[in-house]
Amino acid sequence: MSNTKSLLTIKDLHASVEEKQIIKGLDLDIKPGEVHAIMGPNGAGKSTLGYVLSGRDGYSVESGSVTLNGEDLLEMETEDRARAGLFLAFQYPVEIPGVSNLEFLKASVDAQREARGEDAISSADFLKEAKAACKQVNLPVAFLKRGVNEGFSGGEKKRNELMQMLLLKPKLCILDETDSGLDIDALQVVAEGVNSQRSADRSFIVVTHYQRLLDYIKPDFVHVLSDGKIVKSGDASLALELEAQGYAWLQKEPAEDELEG
Amino acid sequence: MSEWLESAITRARGINDWLAPKRAHALELLSTTKWPTRKTEAWRYTPLRSVERSTAKVIKDVVALSPVDIAGLSAIELVFVNGKFDASQLTKILPEGLSISLGQTLENAQQAQALNAFSTIKPERHLFGLVNDALAQDVVVVSVAEGVEIAQPIRISSLLSHGAESHTRVQVSLAAGSRLAVIEDVQASGDSLNTAFVEYDVASNAYLEHYRFALQTGTNVAIGGSHFNLHDHAKMHSTIVGFGSDLSRLDTDIIHAGQFADAKLNAMYLLDGKELFDLHATVEHAMPNGTTEENVRCIVADRARAVFNGRIHIHRDAQKTLAELNNRNLLMSNTAEINTKPELEIYADDVKCAHGATVAQIDKQALYYLQTRGVSRSKAQVMLNFGFINELIDLMPNAALAEWIRPIIRERFSQMEVK
Repeated sequence: MSNTKSLLTIKDLHASVEEKQIIKGLDLDIKPGEVHAIMGPNGAGKSTLGYVLSGRDGYSVESGSVTLNGEDLLEMETEDRARAGLFLAFQYPVEIPGVSNLEFLKASVDAQREARGEDAISSADFLKEAKAACKQVNLPVAFLKRGVNEGFSGGEKKRNELMQMLLLKPKLCILDETDSGLDIDALQVVAEGVNSQRSADRSFIVVTHYQRLLDYIKPDFVHVLSDGKIVKSGDASLALELEAQGYAWLQKEPAEDELEG
Repeated sequence: MSEWLESAITRARGINDWLAPKRAHALELLSTTKWPTRKTEAWRYTPLRSVERSTAKVIKDVVALSPVDIAGLSAIELVFVNGKFDASQLTKILPEGLSISLGQTLENAQQAQALNAFSTIKPERHLFGLVNDALAQDVVVVSVAEGVEIAQPIRISSLLSHGAESHTRVQVSLAAGSRLAVIEDVQASGDSLNTAFVEYDVASNAYLEHYRFALQTGTNVAIGGSHFNLHDHAKMHSTIVGFGSDLSRLDTDIIHAGQFADAKLNAMYLLDGKELFDLHATVEHAMPNGTTEENVRCIVADRARAVFNGRIHIHRDAQKTLAELNNRNLLMSNTAEINTKPELEIYADDVKCAHGATVAQIDKQALYYLQTRGVSRSKAQVMLNFGFINELIDLMPNAALAEWIRPIIRERFSQMEVK
């Protein structure tokens, strides 16, 4: 595996929000097809990482580098990062009344097709695809006509995120606490959807506070994020260890744990 | 008094034509009018520095300019070039029941009628309207005969070359039961100054479809007005599109002079850079049973400034009036400015009159969300916020005009930056 080219490489990343440093020297290397879980206590910088990688306004990178498929990700506009294959599934998807879900989905798909030099998809073809995606994530087709996430329950919003992922077919999916606010049934639907998308050329960063999601989405690697950097990495068993121990040990002896990591 | 106004008055004194009594009256009023300052309510947010500093000059040389081509629009062209009526661009054979003539060429009886009607609809309080009364040399008179429906719209274009000053004036009368569409447009190419006023008399049961495009941007000064007098059961539907410039000011007055008249006014303006657009819309419900519906919508970006003053005056006798005024605004930056002021004055007790004004900001989260899916910022902006403008475009009765202006407005909006 070590000979395979990396999909995402983060080196010594420092980033801040409103002049407060949140990411403090983060390194991460992801190869195609790998699933990495990032776990950590609240405030460790888990969500910030997704926002920084997607290029959200107000999140500034102070130093370090990020490449996606060898290209400098940090130089790109948010939309170009998406077109390059980055997908962020939001912890709190945004409600957009007045723009129908179908219109939103088609605009997204068309924008990415355009970036690849392809023509816009026909409305009829797209509707077929969108309906199939609805079915796969267990959302009624009527949700295509509603405003984007407008009045959706927490679980419906997460499934809508998943539907976007199915339609956009990204290379790297960042799932930001996709399990938060989901009951066990919804969690299974989402996990099945994610698992169905696992392939040799698609990688995942699964950001989560709890180990529970990882029962359903089996990670290849688990990283512990604390105070803006990865302090420990291991295989899936690390998640179970964390579940048993909690995160308290991180805050007590950060220096020592850093050495271990 | 400013130097500019003094020079305008001096020039006007040199004009002696069929409108002499009206011009003299305007000059008399002007001589006692104070040059507006920040303390003058009607000009509070619209400083007149650009007029004072304007270097625009009356251009006497013949310049060849023609109106912009609009796909699918076949209009009767009424063209002014640098303030001069260009008869050569007017359709030679007009439809039956329609007449378009220069005031000075009218026969005695008609001229007397036109003189009587001149400046009776446009209220005297408009300073630049008075300047226009005194200085507009080629006054064009348009009339539609009783019961006649003119299928082709009339387009009044005021075209200005660089640095030109112009004052244009048209008088339109629709006889009882007639129908007409009029498009007013000004196209200026920089550093120009124009006043463009049109008065409309809409007789009983007549219908006027009206458009005013104020798309001149940059260093132009554009001041004008469209003024309407509605008789019994008369109807009008007006659409205004404005882009703003160093100074753009438009006054509209709708007078319900008869009963059961119906007026619809939809205005949209989109301002960027340091542009200014000021719309003063006044509706006078002088008679009972009239209805008015006004929708004014603005998008203001960068350091631009929008002014809207919407006055509805319901007179004591105007019972059973229905009037609605709605103003919605979108602010794109922290330095953009919107000054909106609804003014309702109601003296009748059995009326329905509603008004509302809202100012919204762009939803940056939604913009970001769309961008994370690959949609470009400019496209996302249009998807999220163009709807409320698009609704008014959809209401334009002339489909060719709507399809012409829609992409122009959309493009302008997509270029505006969120700051």
